Amino acid sequence: MLVDFNDRVIRGYLMSLIGEEGLKMIENMPEGEVTDEEIAETSGVLLNTVRRTLFILYENKFAIVARERDSNSGWLTYLWHLDFSDIEHQLMREKKKLMRSLKTRLDFEEGNVFYVCPQGCVRLLFDEAIETEFLCPMCGEDLVFYDNSVFVETLQKRLDALISS
Amino acid sequence: MDLEEEAFKIISKHKDGIFQNTIWKELDIDSRKCSRIIKKLQDKDLIIREVAVSNGARTYLLRAKEEAKEKYDLLLSGEMFSACTSCTGDCQPEYCGRLSEWISNLPIEEEGAGEAEETEDVGEPQEVEDVGEPQEVEDVGEPQEVEDVGEPQEAEDVEESQEAEDVEEPQEAEDVEEPQEA
Repeated sequence: MLVDFNDRVIRGYLMSLIGEEGLKMIENMPEGEVTDEEIAETSGVLLNTVRRTLFILYENKFAIVARERDSNSGWLTYLWHLDFSDIEHQLMREKKKLMRSLKTRLDFEEGNVFYVCPQGCVRLLFDEAIETEFLCPMCGEDLVFYDNSVFVETLQKRLDALISS
Repeated sequence: MDLEEEAFKIISKHKDGIFQNTIWKELDIDSRKCSRIIKKLQDKDLIIREVAVSNGARTYLLRAKEEAKEKYDLLLSGEMFSACTSCTGDCQPEYCGRLSEWISNLPIEEEGAGEAEETEDVGEPQEVEDVGEPQEVEDVGEPQEVEDVGEPQEAEDVEESQEAEDVEEPQEAEDVEEPQEA
């Protein structure tokens, strides 16, 4: 399957996973099954970074490794190649994970009343604000009511869009 | 690149669709082979095929499916991809700074006036933005820390000692607690 690394979703996803150096490694990956050293040499990425990137990609099922034993020395050689055909499935997993977190957060934001320090030190729940006598535990300022309606509305809108897509 | 990928690339390039009888000529393959490739792309749900007429000949109009990608656009908030991707921290969506940042980025793309509205509600813009930032939420927003320093007595101590700006440092927070323990 064709994977467009310039697509902003795919790029954003891979960027979160493996960072800029990792992307550089993928884009300059040699053809066929190769060792980590060969990848480092061809892509110009540090060997350490190559290994870390391969490990992350392997965990997410984007890298496939084959082991070969040298019959003379008995040494093992690890040969890698990348396969992004499963990216759709992984994106679906990420989507579900995000939706779960957003739902939890939405319930929390809707079910609580918040107070913030005008100096921006902290945001407290109503009960916590009572405990501190509506004074900021950091700087002692009077806490003020925090209206999270816009935050909740935005969150709700995006969550609905994610659910219906 | 195999023929299947090439065919998909050609179809994707033509946003309004392309006739099937054009593709096999372009790929320099016969129509039977082309049909099989198109069938595979259809099975993978990558393209849409509709009956059409081109120069009086019955053929199919092929279009690449865009929805598959578009639905994942919702994972992006501005340029930031899902806050949960590659996160290795203890999952606490209620207090997660990264998630706060991700959600706070949303209004910018959906409704430009979102932030302004938010600031109007509370009054001073900097304050609200400060609270929404992940670093600060992470630094002071964790429940344990709030509990530690959140007792009224401690708050009084802080006021008396006038160390308002420095209280964030853990050592001083411990110092404040010590006299109470004694």
